[in-house]
Formats: sequence, C-alpha cells, structure tokens
Amino acid sequence: MTAERIADLLRACNEERHAVVVTGGNTLATMGLPPLRSDVVLSTLGLGAIVEDAAADLTIAAQSGVTLQDLAAVLSHHGTFVPFDAPRAADATVGGTLAAGWLGPRRHLYGRPRDFVIGSVAVLADGTIARAGGMVVKNVSGYDMSRLYVGSFGTLAVLVQVNLKTIAQPPHARAFTMRLPEGTRARAVAQWQQLPIAPAAAWWVDGFKGAIDGEDGAEGRMLALLEGSEPVLERATRDLRSAMGRAGVPETVVIDAGARASFERTIDAYIAPVGERSITYRLACFPDDVLERALTVRDLAHRFELRTDVLVDAMNGDAILRVSDLDAHALGAKIEMFDDALHDDEPSAIVIAGNHPKRPLLRVWGALPEGFETMRALKARFDPNGILNPGRFLPGL
Amino acid sequence: MLIDRLNGALGKEAVKVQPEDLLAYAFDAYTDGPPPTAVVLPSTAAEVSAIVKIARDEGEPIVPRGAGTGLCGGAVPVEGGIVVSFARMNRILELDTARRRARVQPGVVNLDLSKHAAPAGLFYAPDPSSQKVSTIGGNVATNAGGPHCLSYGATVNHVLALEFVDHRGEIVTTRLDQPGYDLTAVLVGSEGTLGIVTAATVALMRLPEAVRVWLATFDSVEAASDAVSAIIAAGIVPTALEIMDAVAARAVEAAFHAGYPTDCGAVLLVEHAGFDDDMAHAESEIARIAREHGATTWRSARTQAERDALWAGRKGAAGAMGRVAPNYYLQDVCVRRSTLPQALHAVGEIAREYDLTVANVFHAGDGNLHPMLCYDKRDPKQVQAVIESGNEILRTAVALGGTVSGEHGIGFEKREAMTAVYSPDDLATMARVREVLDPLRTFNPEKIFPSGARCPETKAPA
Repeated sequence: MTAERIADLLRACNEERHAVVVTGGNTLATMGLPPLRSDVVLSTLGLGAIVEDAAADLTIAAQSGVTLQDLAAVLSHHGTFVPFDAPRAADATVGGTLAAGWLGPRRHLYGRPRDFVIGSVAVLADGTIARAGGMVVKNVSGYDMSRLYVGSFGTLAVLVQVNLKTIAQPPHARAFTMRLPEGTRARAVAQWQQLPIAPAAAWWVDGFKGAIDGEDGAEGRMLALLEGSEPVLERATRDLRSAMGRAGVPETVVIDAGARASFERTIDAYIAPVGERSITYRLACFPDDVLERALTVRDLAHRFELRTDVLVDAMNGDAILRVSDLDAHALGAKIEMFDDALHDDEPSAIVIAGNHPKRPLLRVWGALPEGFETMRALKARFDPNGILNPGRFLPGL
Repeated sequence: MLIDRLNGALGKEAVKVQPEDLLAYAFDAYTDGPPPTAVVLPSTAAEVSAIVKIARDEGEPIVPRGAGTGLCGGAVPVEGGIVVSFARMNRILELDTARRRARVQPGVVNLDLSKHAAPAGLFYAPDPSSQKVSTIGGNVATNAGGPHCLSYGATVNHVLALEFVDHRGEIVTTRLDQPGYDLTAVLVGSEGTLGIVTAATVALMRLPEAVRVWLATFDSVEAASDAVSAIIAAGIVPTALEIMDAVAARAVEAAFHAGYPTDCGAVLLVEHAGFDDDMAHAESEIARIAREHGATTWRSARTQAERDALWAGRKGAAGAMGRVAPNYYLQDVCVRRSTLPQALHAVGEIAREYDLTVANVFHAGDGNLHPMLCYDKRDPKQVQAVIESGNEILRTAVALGGTVSGEHGIGFEKREAMTAVYSPDDLATMARVREVLDPLRTFNPEKIFPSGARCPETKAPA
C-alpha cells in the first residue's frame, strides 16, 4: 500500500461522503467511542515497511502499520529504542499508538511518544498528501503538523509514515516487586518521586492478579523498573531498599532476568479486560495526589458493589481503575450510574478499555478539553465532510 | 482612531507612538523593517485581548515581540501594525517545585526562570545562547533550542500548557495530556502567527547530580564533525556536543579568555550530565571515539569555574565575532547527523568560493549548523556575496536531506526557502491551520509562509 493509493481512496470516499474508519492493530479499539458510521475500513496493516533505518543518525522512518514489536526488534540491533510503552506491542502499530496519544509509564524519564516524532507523511480527507518535518532531529521550519496528528485519533488525517528519533537502550534493567503491609501504602508511594536515581517506572497496584507480577500485601503491592548502567543500578537498588525500609516495607523481590518482560506485562494490564464485564478508566493526576484520588474512586466503585483493580503510576500521576462485575449484565445494571458518580469527582476521567455494550453511553472522554472550539474549527477545515473516524473521538471531532 | 482606542484600553503610558520610540521596535537581531504604527506594552491577558479586538476591528496587523533577539526577522514589522511588547508581563506566576513546573508570563527571561528554580534543585532545560535576555514567550514562538536540547529536547518538549489570545480576542488555554488536538504543539514554533501567548506552564527538570565538560581539539572542523557523527552513531548522546572552528575559537578566546585553545583547527566541547558512577565510563568512551577520529588533545574542565567559563565563551561566541569583521550573518540549518562532515566541508567551499571568512560555532550533536559569514556591510559586493552564499548553504542543507532552520525559525528571512523543503500541498496543509487560527491575517503577517505570487524583496541582513 502507498500514500498515493490511500489518497485515491480517501478522495473517492470524500466525494461520496463515505465514512472511513481507520484501524491499526486494534489494540486500543475500546479506547474512545465506536465509530458512528463505517462505510470503508482502512487498515494500516499493509503499511508495514521500515522506510529508512538511519541508525547512524539515531533516526528511523517507519510506515504507520509497523508494529511496536517489529520496530523494537529493528532498533534493538542498533542498541536503541523509542519508549512507546504501549500495551500489546506485538499487535499495536506505530501509527495507532501515536494517533491514540498513548502515554506510557517511562515518559517522565525519556519523554512522551510525541517528542520522538520528527516528521510524518499523512493523507488528509480530501486526498492531499502532506509531509511535515523530516529526518533531522531539530527543525523549526513551519508548524509542527506531525505532533498535531499525534493524539488526533485519525480524525484529521491518516498517518502513513512517521519519522522518529531514537535513543540508546539503557544497558541494564532490574525490576522489583514488594508487598505492602498495613500502614505502609502512602509512605511507600511518596518515596518514589524523591529517590535520587529516578526509577524508569514505579507503580502501586491493587489487584490485577495474574496479569502483573507480585502478590498484594494488606495494602496492595508495588512494582518498579530501574534502568541504567550496572553501578547506577546497584546504587539505586540500595537507595530503593532503604527508602522502602523507612516506609515499613520489609521485603523487596528483585527480578533481573526478564525485568523488561515483567514491565511489559504490567503495561499490557492497562487495557486488559475481564471478558465483557469490565470498564477501565484513566485519571490524569499528579504524583503527589494520585494515590489519594485513586483510593477515593476505588471506594466509590465499592459503594456500587463493583470489583476493582487499581494501578497507580507514581512517577507520572496516572491512575488506572478497572471496574468489573460478575457478568456483563450485572455490570450493565450499574455502570452508567457509577460513570456519573465518577465524573462528579473526576470530571476528566476517560475510558481506555472495556468491551461492554454500554460503553458508548458512558462519558468516555470526560469533560470537554480546554480549547475545544478551536479543535472543532480545525476539524472542519481538515475534514469538512467528517468522513474520518466519525464519532470515535470527542463530539464533532 | 486606532491610537485613541489603544489609549483607552491600556492607558496612554502603555502606548508608544512617538517616531523615536517606534524605531526602537522596528528591528531584531537579523534585520529592520518599517516602523510600526504603534507599540503597546500590556500588563495582563485581558489587555492583550483588548488589543487583538481593536487590531481586528481596525484591520491592523499585530507583531508580538519578546526581547528582539530573533535572528530571522520574526519580530520585525513588515507592514506597520501594532507591536505588542511583553516587557511588562515578566512575572513568574507560580513556581511549583513539588510538581516540578512553573507558570510564567511571556516576558520572563529564560535564565531568570532557571535561577529561580535552582534553590529547589530544578532548572528549565531549553537554553538558547540568548538566554540571558531572550524571553520564554519568544522561546515558545520559535521553539527555541540551545546546546542542551541535544538530550533534553527543544522548547516544545517542555511546555505543558499555554494561555493565548485567539483571533477573536478570546483567552484560550491549551493543555498537554488531555484528550483533543495538541494545540500546544502547534502554537510552539508558530512564530506568533496563530495567536498571542499570554502565559506558559513549563516543566522543570532536576539538576543533574554530576556534570562534566571535556574539550577535544582537532586539525579541522570536518574532523571534529566526523568524531561527532561517530559518537552519535555509537548511540552516545551526551547533554551537549558543540563544535567551534579555529576562527571562532580565536575570537572567543580573545574576547572571553575562557580557556579555548587557539592553535588548532577546531574545538569540540562535550558536556555529559548524569550520575557520578557513569562519568568515568562516559569519558573513556567518548574520548576513545574522539581520538579514533582525529582528536589531537583531550582535556577535562576541572572546576565549576572552568566549566562556566567555557560555556560563557560558547554562548557569547556570536558577540565575539565583532573581532573578526564589522558584520556577520548567522545562518541556521540542520542536517542529518551522519552528514555533518560533508555539510561542513560544503560550507567551507562555499565561503571560499565567495571569498568570505566563515566562523562555525554549532550544535554538532543535533546536526544543527550555525555558519557565521563575516563581512563588511559598507561593501555592497560583500553584502551580495553573503546573501548568495547564505542561500547556497540552505540549498546544500536541503540537498543533504536537512532543513532550512534548526532552531532560529523562518520569520521573514527564510520564508521563500520553505518551498525548497516542502511541496505546495505540504505548505497548504500548514496554511489550513493558519486559516483556522488566524483567518484575518492579524497575527504577524508575512512570516513563515512564502510570499507566493508576489515578488519577494531580497533584503540584506542588518
């Protein structure tokens, strides 16, 4: 598949007002709303080529349908990576991950996925092929169109190719799990931000049994990933153990072999459903208030007699709340009321996963974002007939 | 009418209309233009909003202005209009050290923010060489870089939210990491053509535990570039990799006595920040690659004072050029990092061809070249040679797969060069954003986009 063929297709669809639903690996298909209309499904999986592997420049150009796993495999030959940190890397595509604006756990250390995008080729709804940026790592010639497409859910243009800068893979990784005894939770979570050597990821988890390493103590468990050179890991390990000791956590389990696999399993859990009887929310908080807010919404879910799994990203302040029930029917009976109550407390909570039939009735995008009118105007200028992913994103986008 | 309305909205003391005042706002570090119709100095976003409404009603363009250190005419009026100076909007509104962020007005000076954050162990990473005077607002407008954006990224990576006044005069906020289009990313680097930023929330980083600065010397700037390409290709990205050629090093040393060697072809300045445990290994790796690629000497800056002096020299390099020639023209292009030696070689050839002295001081690790073409502007032949060689450097960068601006922006100077990098469709796509955010062409007209049908007036750098 080529940009030109996609341009022909979109031009034709635009003239006929056919709705085009753009899909990649479908890993985030239950993030956002289902499309309102779907006349043509445009899969980017045919766009699976590495366009240019410029290892000596620490850059790479990939078609949007390249999977994160395939991209990582190419880059690992050069000892480099791009920290997408998105779930189900074997299926997730570069284009889909960027279009969904995925925000992973290591962004506090390495940067957001958007900050690795140095160029793009996109096709607009009317078939215009638009290139932006290039293969240089620093560029201020014109507007940053590539970043505009990131997080736009394919509603402004179809990403065909993205150019990325890469960074060196840290030589070593070490994962940790620890059970939190009674009375240690708040103190343990508060430690992570203060460590002199910031961990690449640090989570507090309650539940997600089987999906994530470790067993809950009385107040859940913590998982962390350290990355760096061997001496840095050794020092960070000592720091981490003494910090956890001060917080009252007696025992820390070290995972050296398979540390990154363990890390990836945790990321997969972000969107893992419980059959068709769960809905997963994400709350954007701050590291200093995320635990409290996560516990508040967990308690709220318990008042609705929902089961909960909670994951708190202590470095970035993300809270992931998965609510579920005995079966889809039981969940369906209360999820709308819970969704209302949740948004009373946390207006900007969004739904990131859950294949329940009532999902479209929930406030999956939370409160309208600031600047929404400008976004609407951009949409009208880029896709006046509204053919790209109609209904999938914020109302009218 | 226009002036009366501005006086009414801001008070007379915030509106300048005297010819001698207006002249002071008709230039930047690149060029000058016709004086504006008026200069206004708002103190609040509400006042900026009033200015935008008045300008829209009166059909006057608005040219936002930070410290005027821009190098491509971005803050220079092209057709009169109202220059909005942010000299009075220079407060740090909030310094949230726990959440490592600050909310600032656009007129805050870049370095002042880092100074305020330092006691909490934090700093603001983007550090353009102009940081002692240039403002956060201006930095946002040009997506300013600096030596340290090699590992920390340019301004766009550090802006978390913006408050701006849109074409209707409405005060709008954009925020990162919320559902919706990334308006923040579009505003950063838009050179004041999409709206007027009235506040920015920026990320602060923790000061590194260890910082080392090393100096390597080479026989030629090509050899130094070759070493940089090799360091990058090995996957090593220090916090800064800066090259200074012999012409520049001598001028800098004469001006600052910073400790730069003056008897070599080029100097490579390497800074690495991180953890103490990693420094010895990093030094041995980088030094090894440098030596393999022709480094003749390698030394370490031992004290903080020595490091500061080297950086002061580096950041003052443009100012030191006065020792080489009465005038210089600073070009800014970015190439793929593996093509650095070719690009530097080509710059040398072009300078020779036009019989100009060139000094190179640049962010080598990013592939971001800054050839400074030295000349005397009283000699029209030299002026013409500078214009032509500057254009040739642009063409060379594009031919090597690079771009026409790495960090200074397009402004007025380079707008015709945009067609060398982008197709009409690419530019028309950017123009759609412009049409939505600035439908009446109120904000900084005649910038970034090529003039199209109209005949461009080639202007000598001032």
